Amino acid sequence: MDTQWPRYEVFKQDRPGEPHESVGTVHAVDAEMALQNGRDLFARRPKCHSLWVARADAITSKTAEQLAADDAWQADIDLEAPTETYLVFQKQTERRGMTFTTHVGEVEASSPAHALQQAITTFPAEQVFVWWVCPATAVTRSEEADTLPMFAPAKDKLFRLPNQYRTVFTMQKIKRGKDVIE
Amino acid sequence: MYGQETDPDYPTKLAEFEARIARGEKIEPGDWMPERYRKQLIRMISQHAHSEVVGMLPEGAWITRAPNLRRKQVLLAKVQDEGGHGQYLYHAAETLGATREEMLQALLTGQAKYSSIFNYPTVTWSDMGAIGWLVDGAAIMNQTMLAQCSYGPYSRAMVRICAEEGFHKKQGQEMIIQYAQGTPEQKAMAQDSINRFWWPTLMMFGPHDSASANSDELIRWGIKTKTNDQLRQEFVNELVPLLHALGLQVPDPDLHYDEETGNWISGEINWDEFWQVVKGNGPMNAARLQARQEAHDNGRWVREALAAYGERHP
Repeated sequence: MDTQWPRYEVFKQDRPGEPHESVGTVHAVDAEMALQNGRDLFARRPKCHSLWVARADAITSKTAEQLAADDAWQADIDLEAPTETYLVFQKQTERRGMTFTTHVGEVEASSPAHALQQAITTFPAEQVFVWWVCPATAVTRSEEADTLPMFAPAKDKLFRLPNQYRTVFTMQKIKRGKDVIE
Repeated sequence: MYGQETDPDYPTKLAEFEARIARGEKIEPGDWMPERYRKQLIRMISQHAHSEVVGMLPEGAWITRAPNLRRKQVLLAKVQDEGGHGQYLYHAAETLGATREEMLQALLTGQAKYSSIFNYPTVTWSDMGAIGWLVDGAAIMNQTMLAQCSYGPYSRAMVRICAEEGFHKKQGQEMIIQYAQGTPEQKAMAQDSINRFWWPTLMMFGPHDSASANSDELIRWGIKTKTNDQLRQEFVNELVPLLHALGLQVPDPDLHYDEETGNWISGEINWDEFWQVVKGNGPMNAARLQARQEAHDNGRWVREALAAYGERHP
């Protein structure tokens, strides 16, 4: 049996007002299951307010290297065609971190290539290492009403946090105690 | 995207690629990379994923026997995390064109390797402490290095895993500290766990640098930034003083402190044992694979249900 189900990118928002950031992918047969799997995988710890999922094949991705290589991706942009809303994401830093791209806003565009072109002019930044655009219709979002049942259970699982263990302090105390005895 | 050595542009592209890594840039899916780089990463990441998944077994066996509710909650959460880590890593490997199906198949048929440490049995409760402190502690040293890795998806998975492993290590250390200061029986139990897990933990860092076939290339391409022996030394230097402070013995008669370098020098590792376990002849190799196979078979109805649901709701 083939269980190589579609991959969904998962975007997590830690607190209201902060941007959604891509945290990784899950396999799922549909978006609802992708949200559930995303919750199990990326919200085991207290910090999660909202999740989005989007099928990986609905996302158009270009690295800075790919954009520098050639302009061929811009060739077929049809400015007359009807437009729809696209979400724009950027990888903004090479610093070590656990998230990839960050949601920066929306553009109206007639195709992924058009959306990318719009994104580059609308959201300029000193350096963008990777651009993602994705039609808004391809994104499924957890609802405000889901926040409690989906994310609240992790909030009181403080034992999952390393700072709940006072091992460093205890070891220091033990060492000091020993010094006194010796 | 994946550079072959037969490509006439290969040397130029390779030079650019290596310059990017030297500048500290991350290689992302879509970027040019040598085919060898891709292969090495798939090998490492999938082995790593398998280790997380098989690593659930020795600890999972003790969930029902945890001595109190808090320890049970903690152990459940830890084992669940390891399953999650396997997921992060399988997905990182998928960005390089590997499929989850073929990776799982390689694990179940015994073609793929996983960390040899999980082929040792867990025979007492305090083994949960020793695994958390020693085994996860050693894994964190390796993973902190891999968090600097030049490949973006692997690096990010490692940063996330390290953050979560911090909890795993500390809950284990907390247990050993407690038992070392407890009743004579508890202290003896903790010492026995350290005795059995010390050497297999040192083996986790892999063969000596002189015998490690892949090291040079992995370091040049920024996949690893430290050698097996460097990491092993860091681990020994961190652990030995702490174990001594707790009044626990390190089961190595040749262990000594070198004033000049400030290092704790270990005796020689039993490499015959290491290779025997790697080759599948460790005490638990067969049992681990059998348990994995049974879990896979028992999960079949879930996969079938999901597939049927997927067909009805495309």
